[in-house]
Amino acid sequence: MTPFKRAPERDPLDRTPLSVRLQRSATNDYSPGAKGFVEAWSSIFVGLTITARRAARNPDTLRYPFEKLTLSPRWRGALRLTGILGRDDIGSIEAPSPDYIRRIEVLEDEQRLPPCVGNCPANVDARGQALYLADERPADAYELVRDRNTMPGVLGRICHHPCESACKRNHYDEPIAIRPLHRVAFERYAEFREERVRKLPVTRSERVAIIGSGPSGLTAAFDLMKLGYEVHVYEKDPKPGGALLTGVPAYRLPREVLAQEIEDLQSMGMRLLTGVRIGSDVPIDHLIGEYEAVLIAAGLQFSRMLPIPNIDAKGVTGAIEFLRAGNSKHDAGVKGKRVLVVGGGNVAVDCARVALRCGASEVTLSSLESMDELPAHPWEIEEALDEGVVAMCSFGPHHVIAPEGRVTGMRLQSCLSVFDAQGRFSPQFGDEYSDLECDVIIFAIGQAPDLTDLVSGSDLLLTERGLLPVDGSLMTTELAGVFACGEVVTGPGSAIASIASGHEAAESIRRYIQGVALDEDRVYRPVPVYPRYGKPVLKGIEPSRRRAKMPMARGTDRAKDFRPVELGLTHIEGMSEAARCLRCASEVCVGCTFCARTCPDYAIRVERTDDPGSRCVTRYDLDLSKCCFCGLCAEQCPTNALKHTGQYELSFYTRDLTVFNRSEMLRDGGGTRATGADGTSVSACRGAGAPISEDSSPSNPEDLVAPTEVEQ
Amino acid sequence: MSALLTGAAWGLAAASLIAVAALIGVWWERKVAGRIQMRFGPQEAGPAGLLQTLSDTLKLMLKEDITPTAADVPVFRAMPFLVFVPVASALVVIPYASGWAPFNIATGAVFFLAVPGLSVLGILLAGWASQNTYASIGGVRAAAQMISYELPRTLSVLSLCLLAGSLSTGTIRAEWRWWWVPLTAVGFLVYFISSIAEVNRGPFDLAEAESELVAGYFTDYSGIRWAIFMMAEYGGVVAASLFGAATFLGGGLGLSGVPGALLFVALTALIATAMIWAKWTFPRMRADQLMTFAWKVLTPMALVQLLAVGIALAARVVLS
Repeated sequence: MTPFKRAPERDPLDRTPLSVRLQRSATNDYSPGAKGFVEAWSSIFVGLTITARRAARNPDTLRYPFEKLTLSPRWRGALRLTGILGRDDIGSIEAPSPDYIRRIEVLEDEQRLPPCVGNCPANVDARGQALYLADERPADAYELVRDRNTMPGVLGRICHHPCESACKRNHYDEPIAIRPLHRVAFERYAEFREERVRKLPVTRSERVAIIGSGPSGLTAAFDLMKLGYEVHVYEKDPKPGGALLTGVPAYRLPREVLAQEIEDLQSMGMRLLTGVRIGSDVPIDHLIGEYEAVLIAAGLQFSRMLPIPNIDAKGVTGAIEFLRAGNSKHDAGVKGKRVLVVGGGNVAVDCARVALRCGASEVTLSSLESMDELPAHPWEIEEALDEGVVAMCSFGPHHVIAPEGRVTGMRLQSCLSVFDAQGRFSPQFGDEYSDLECDVIIFAIGQAPDLTDLVSGSDLLLTERGLLPVDGSLMTTELAGVFACGEVVTGPGSAIASIASGHEAAESIRRYIQGVALDEDRVYRPVPVYPRYGKPVLKGIEPSRRRAKMPMARGTDRAKDFRPVELGLTHIEGMSEAARCLRCASEVCVGCTFCARTCPDYAIRVERTDDPGSRCVTRYDLDLSKCCFCGLCAEQCPTNALKHTGQYELSFYTRDLTVFNRSEMLRDGGGTRATGADGTSVSACRGAGAPISEDSSPSNPEDLVAPTEVEQ
Repeated sequence: MSALLTGAAWGLAAASLIAVAALIGVWWERKVAGRIQMRFGPQEAGPAGLLQTLSDTLKLMLKEDITPTAADVPVFRAMPFLVFVPVASALVVIPYASGWAPFNIATGAVFFLAVPGLSVLGILLAGWASQNTYASIGGVRAAAQMISYELPRTLSVLSLCLLAGSLSTGTIRAEWRWWWVPLTAVGFLVYFISSIAEVNRGPFDLAEAESELVAGYFTDYSGIRWAIFMMAEYGGVVAASLFGAATFLGGGLGLSGVPGALLFVALTALIATAMIWAKWTFPRMRADQLMTFAWKVLTPMALVQLLAVGIALAARVVLS
């Protein structure tokens, strides 16, 4: 018989499990008879007492809102920095030219390709250039760019810089001045030229002939020279340079720069034969027999004209002819005359500006397109208008007025639309006519190659329109061993696109000579089209953080002669511009503080120094008691240094899907709050690339608590 | 006709009373249960979580009313009402004031004990119409349990009828004297326990034992029909509490006027709270324990109580 036991008075701290206590208090083992009856009934009331007493006490669970504060503020978890500028190195993209495109492809697959590099037709490593320039290594910067660009000094003046349109800094303020930095690198290379330009060793017996010394021909020559081939470049003009010499006006590209870079190539072993006209002087068959491979990089030779009345009148000329005369003699017979340029492209703008410089009394630019759709680059148009060119947009030529065989004017017809709904060229003209008096008419409406002489006597055949059939990706012609590149293949285009085709042609020639299949494992990278960015909001950005402004000669002064319009950046401007580069996709934190500015909870704080030459992160704090795990910080990190795992709620969104609020990005960095009791801290800054030893991190905890006193 | 209208009006009033009582009762039960389990219970919706039940009601009304494919559809659909209506009708014979009940019939006590017993039919049929083994077992269990506990409950109320000399609930309240409380204490205890069993609440909730039968006879019910079953259960609690307070405790312990009315409400709430208290204190009984308890403990106790009342009445006659 177990006597009924009364439940003992319970200690509030007693953690005996409920089941055990119930067993103690409510037993089923009662005495027999009436005593047991009373025991059973009283046990019921004891049970009720137990629960009543419990109900009277305050519950010992937490109220729900307080349960959320169990995360340790020191838990750094899924968010981490993969590298810190000043401690970890950023690599430049370097590879021998046959493997370079493959390397770019791999980087893009790994999402480690900077957008500027991806958007350059020749994939020039602009990030590496900025890196080296900021690190006071201009010679390395120049040579890094030259590996892909062949003539950084030239392209630094004339390139249409698709890299800058892709620059991630467009999101925040203005893109990095990549093109002017090419020029800075070129100018600073002068002091290294003597010691660093060396003849490249010829390691192979095969020789390659290249017809044309324009950008694509020189690029192919340089690539093949680096591979150890002997390269002979044939140029029909007395001076090398191709379109760069005859087409690009000297106010944009000083001839010394072009000559210097071609001279460098010659010093490295390129053999240049000027004044040799292939076809008439030397038949192309002779070259095909003499060399293992022949590359046609002849470019475009004559201007297209319109089949309108009086097109053959005296005073009507084509853009190429006009520019050639203007560039070589600085006089194209327009002194004191009224000039009308027909066309809206870059060549037309060049013609108009050259005409001004050759002394034309007034220059009018007439284009089918309206002002907003002009195919010329906006900065070119702006500069031309500054210099006094008058634009007559949305007008097309009707006929040339030439009563005595000599131009006195042109009848223009209004143009309603240039392109049809499918985006094809199909101009619709209106009924409005306008007669414009002028003495010279320059047609800049397109160019075509003139290869009739070149291929005469060979097995190469031209199409009815005078074009050479070429495989656009392999750069091969109908004839084995004869390749083509540059504008012969691509049509009128940019210098950098010609350079890209030169790389491809060199690779095809290498494979052809070495007996490798031309398309085996070949990577073909079309140039991606990046979105255009709107005008940046620059309010509140201090001038020292802004893009370096290229100083320009005054509009009215510069239009009188062929002196350069762009005056160039100074050394310091170039350095600070290079330091502006965000080192996109490098996976190294550059302390841009955009994560802190994006953070909706003010959980991140970044401190850094950014003097040119010594730019580094000094402190990075993440306060996880404030973090809401949205993952926006990592999403917007331009360098991909800030990484997170799937534990962040929004982390499955790509950046395109998240709202990108520029004004939020630009909010004052001083507004960030953090406990300061946590974080990665690099106290001393030793300049970019310099490793920081273990003992440089602050050992004194006071430094962590009072971060404002961290020594720089 | 007018009787029908009056009946409809009182039925509506009874249903509203149950609805309000269930609204407050569920919140109160969750609060009490939480406290007993060292929790806070609902606290987010409204002050002290008062609006929690309201939001739950809305949710239940918006939930899909599912009828199983295999169910006997008309029966399945009708049964919640067959369970609810007898429970609600029990409210009209409760003496809310001394000598007055809405339907002050001569056999009010019998009506109160018998008519809610009809809901056992609804529960049995609800379980059967679901064509679900769990529901069927729940229905059969409920039938056995409710019919068994009908007996001690009736016997315990019978002692009151003996004291009042009438089967009319109004008369019972009018005749109430303070010494009835000590005299019928055991009867009240029997009434209280068997009332819990009558409404299928813990520890006698074998009919809806969730650890054995999912949810017993209303396993297949959802949404508003399920809510009607729950209302019927709370209606049972309210009816039993009101009747207990009005007869065994004489309304407001014999007080009249506003204090009496307030005390009546307070005592009703106290009895209902005690039912909740018991539910969250005791573990569920086994089926055999349930039957043993009804037939071997409660029925003899009720008989002893009846005997004691008879002896007391005889002694009173003899003494006077």
